[in-house]
Amino acid sequence: MIKRALIKLIVFLALVSIVIPLLIILIWSFASSWPWPYMMPQNFSLRGIEEFFGGYSGAVNSMFTSVLVGIGTAAFAVLISIPAARAIKLYDFHGKSIVDFLLLLPVIVPATSFAMGIQVLFIRTKLNDTIFGVILAHTIVSLPYTVRIMAEVVTAIGNKYEVQAYVLGANKKDTLLKITIPLLMPGLVSAFSMAFIISMGQYFLTFLIGGGAVVTLPIRMFPYIQSGDRQIASMYSLMFILITLVVLLISDKLVRRYYNFESTYFFS
Amino acid sequence: MNKKSLVPYLMLMPAMAMLAVFIYGLFNGILQSFGLLKSAGLNKFTLEYYSETFRNGNLLNSIKVSLIISAVSSVIAVILGVVLSYLFCRTGFVNKRAYNIFKLPIVIPHIVVATLVINLFSQSGLLARLCNLLGIIGSQQEFIPMVFDEKFKGVILGYVWKEVPFIVLVVATIMSNIDGNLGEAAQNLGASPFKAFIYVTLPLCFPSIAMVFIIIFTYSFGAYELPMLLGPTFPKALPVQAYIEYTHPELAHRPYAMVLNTIMIVITIAFAIAYHFLIKKINKKVEVRAYD
Repeated sequence: MIKRALIKLIVFLALVSIVIPLLIILIWSFASSWPWPYMMPQNFSLRGIEEFFGGYSGAVNSMFTSVLVGIGTAAFAVLISIPAARAIKLYDFHGKSIVDFLLLLPVIVPATSFAMGIQVLFIRTKLNDTIFGVILAHTIVSLPYTVRIMAEVVTAIGNKYEVQAYVLGANKKDTLLKITIPLLMPGLVSAFSMAFIISMGQYFLTFLIGGGAVVTLPIRMFPYIQSGDRQIASMYSLMFILITLVVLLISDKLVRRYYNFESTYFFS
Repeated sequence: MNKKSLVPYLMLMPAMAMLAVFIYGLFNGILQSFGLLKSAGLNKFTLEYYSETFRNGNLLNSIKVSLIISAVSSVIAVILGVVLSYLFCRTGFVNKRAYNIFKLPIVIPHIVVATLVINLFSQSGLLARLCNLLGIIGSQQEFIPMVFDEKFKGVILGYVWKEVPFIVLVVATIMSNIDGNLGEAAQNLGASPFKAFIYVTLPLCFPSIAMVFIIIFTYSFGAYELPMLLGPTFPKALPVQAYIEYTHPELAHRPYAMVLNTIMIVITIAFAIAYHFLIKKINKKVEVRAYD
């Protein structure tokens, strides 16, 4: 009995330690004055909201830039990952273990080092300071995750259904549209969500490759955190989390309208 | 299957092209660290930048600090993550709706984590206020510095907060699968739930636990955001120091930044290779045991 209660307590504490910091962000977002040593704000205001949606701060633009880059990255990464994952799981070829190792590299080697090493090439090829350049860089660091997720799905379904479709006389296009893609859908959504999350959260890579011309939300909010403006930093953080969740939910719901499946990586 | 078919290579082409860009970036940095940077008029191979950097005590400090940050945060996160995964599986919490809350930190980027840490742990943060309310401390200054401190406590806390849910998400999924099948079999054969976990489930989860450990270790070793926002002015973490050298107004100074980057690349890749061989060894052992 005591053991059970203890386990329940630990689970509860784990949840609390996730929720409390987020609640504090919510409260700070609307606090105009919250001096030491009060546990609750003395005054509330909508300064944070006004600052964010006021236009002069450029936050709304940054929000759109972030979402655009995130969706671009996710779409790009997923498109590249599908054939790559199928090649790895359905074919036997020379150099497979090298491919496996190379695909691990962008998670292992810091994006910081990559960003500093590649900036010159991006400047020379005029990709620096462009949204496309940032999408490209984000796609590279998302690939290990998206390929891995797609590979798991490919392993789970194999290619037996496609072979079956061919045997029954289906052509390539029909097999792709009616068999392969629907079967891959749960994995596609998971991989898309993962790449979107990774892209949304990038700071340093965007900072170097975007070069001040591509101002995503993290770039916009960095100075506020640095200068210690807690209300504005918290409001940006809050909006960041909300936007990410909204985009993930919409993409999940959209896909579920057309395809029926149980669970993905993030939503169960 | 036909090993000579070109099809898989064609399918891998786009992904490999992207990885080629990544590798080009790394090599470019490594070459510059040896003094090969044409645009700055440098084109003679030299180890000078390395020897000079290593003679400078600041650098060794940076390496040490970064290794400590990532080792401490990753070990704490993995232990907490594995214990929580076990408890979540045991209690069936993984299937509850509230479990989704635990996935939230995955979507929260490190710069937001920095905000959380400042709000909660700085000397005017809520924890300090709570200590003040309870009479443990009398003023802000009495609260142990946890942010901008030389021990990087805030940075480590931030990483742990962000990484534990990531570990749980990976490990709990695998654990609940194994626990349901083989763990149950072990229990049917007379093992206690705890013994079944220690001798059956945990060893089978080990490859994925090692994998997430490598990922979070190398990430926290090379990431810029948290040590930049929550670290002290001195000592500086390796990635932060590297960027400072990188922004030096003189292009001829760039090799110094690349020396630091090369050190990060070498250390992280060494970890990846060690992981690769470790997994191979474990897989072999498991196979041998299976045939005994």
